[in-house]
Amino acid sequence: MIEVLNGGTQTTLQDAGRPGMRHLGIPSSGAADQLSFALANWMAGNRWDALAIECALGGLHIKFQSSNTVAIAGAEMWAQVNGQNVNNFSAFSVEKGDILTLSFARDGCRSYIAIAGGLKAPEFMNSSSTYLPAKIGGLNGCALRAGDQLISSNRPRSAQRKIPQGFTPKLSRHVVLRSLPGPEWKILDKPSQRHLFVSPFHATNLTDRMGSRLKGDKITTEVPISMTSSPLLPGTLQIDTNGEPILMFADGHCTGGYPRALQVIQSDKWLLGQIAPGTQVSFRRCFQEHSKKILKARNSFYGGLIEGFTF
Amino acid sequence: MSDTELTPDIIEYGDSALLVQFKTNSFSLDVNNRIHQLSKTLSSKPDWQELVPGYDSILCCFDMARISMERAKKNIATAIKKTASVEITESKIIEVPVVYGGIYGPDMAAIKKSSGLNQSQIIETHSAQPYSVCMMGFIPGFCFLSEIPSPLKHPRHKSPRSLVPAGSVGIAGWQTGIYGLDSPGGWQIIGRTPHKMFDKNREKPFLVKAGDKIKFIPSSKAIFS
Repeated sequence: MIEVLNGGTQTTLQDAGRPGMRHLGIPSSGAADQLSFALANWMAGNRWDALAIECALGGLHIKFQSSNTVAIAGAEMWAQVNGQNVNNFSAFSVEKGDILTLSFARDGCRSYIAIAGGLKAPEFMNSSSTYLPAKIGGLNGCALRAGDQLISSNRPRSAQRKIPQGFTPKLSRHVVLRSLPGPEWKILDKPSQRHLFVSPFHATNLTDRMGSRLKGDKITTEVPISMTSSPLLPGTLQIDTNGEPILMFADGHCTGGYPRALQVIQSDKWLLGQIAPGTQVSFRRCFQEHSKKILKARNSFYGGLIEGFTF
Repeated sequence: MSDTELTPDIIEYGDSALLVQFKTNSFSLDVNNRIHQLSKTLSSKPDWQELVPGYDSILCCFDMARISMERAKKNIATAIKKTASVEITESKIIEVPVVYGGIYGPDMAAIKKSSGLNQSQIIETHSAQPYSVCMMGFIPGFCFLSEIPSPLKHPRHKSPRSLVPAGSVGIAGWQTGIYGLDSPGGWQIIGRTPHKMFDKNREKPFLVKAGDKIKFIPSSKAIFS
């Protein structure tokens, strides 16, 4: 068991999510940054998709009721065990009564804490991922609060794995997302098409697991259009009626009524989970054949380390 | 119904999804029926990670590590050809009791004003015919239904209410729909059903799915107690 002493800004339990349910209005959810999540599980000796803790922006304090192996990966949050620093992207042992604290995030948004053997929570549609709007998954569908008890498996301590050189992702306050045109790209006017790929945007305070409202140059269409509600995906950049972009994340709505200007390439979607309020966001033009090559290379690189993991 | 309207475009949506978009300027039940047939045809193949039907489009997501964009396009084109001859199967009609007006339908007055009808005429018009469930989502359990009779059409609120209770039945332009969860929302609310469109604790969490038909049954307040 693990006791939550302080839930932090927004901490949820996440696994790989529940894909394939968007036709019912259920987004896939799951770890917003699947790469850091998979690395945390790998270091703790778990399958890459075991249920883990996702802490956004920091502030989480937890107390271990038994000895265990723990791994931490993602945004740097100056983690400490009983006041002693522990390295980010590392696995370490904890004893009964040890307290792990996360301070506040810099260079990213979310940190993942994996426990050897994984955490246990009831499943909904084959996943324990928390989806807050419908109170599904996790601990009664809620974010963690002081007093919550997390159930970890009774598996004895596992070997701690060290990430080999070159596999630790570099996170920064400037997220660059390679993107392809979305279905309504063509209706944007020429200056707006240019702005999207050359000007920087920044994530506003309206940033959570569902998506992020961005600020930057106004994006406009050739002629005003009114769209019928239509399907949406994580990684889609929508443009609202005021010309402001909204970038959709793992918990984003399954349908929407705004033009879909861009779609982030599959290999870069993990970065969406590291966009915090204030993060600079840039989009770079990508092409189908490049996106395919990038994914193939990334999958074989990380797939060689983490069994079964793909972007 | 012209053939061009029923021959959709296949549009690239990023690197691992295709959007099958029908050309229609307003609501078309023919197009929507065709979308649900196409969804059925496509779902018989394991190629698709997600198949999300919309009013006038269907989103098809695939694993780009297994299937190329070209292959996916071909598979969709084949399915479109095949679907041209598929018969529409009559779907059963699900009855949904609704208490119209009063505290359950705070926007009834607005519809009265714009339509020039009185409350019982509005109730009669809204509940006269069955509606198709055209699509689900933006949130779990939200049902986007087919076109309402012209007099009832009404634009949504300029800025959304911060809380619309689950079960609320609303109008937005030519659409009518049911809220599956308590959520913020901008639709004109004319009634509420005690039925839970989405209940995570039920064996079948969803009451309806896209492609089903719904008929509203005007009911008295007593059904809420």
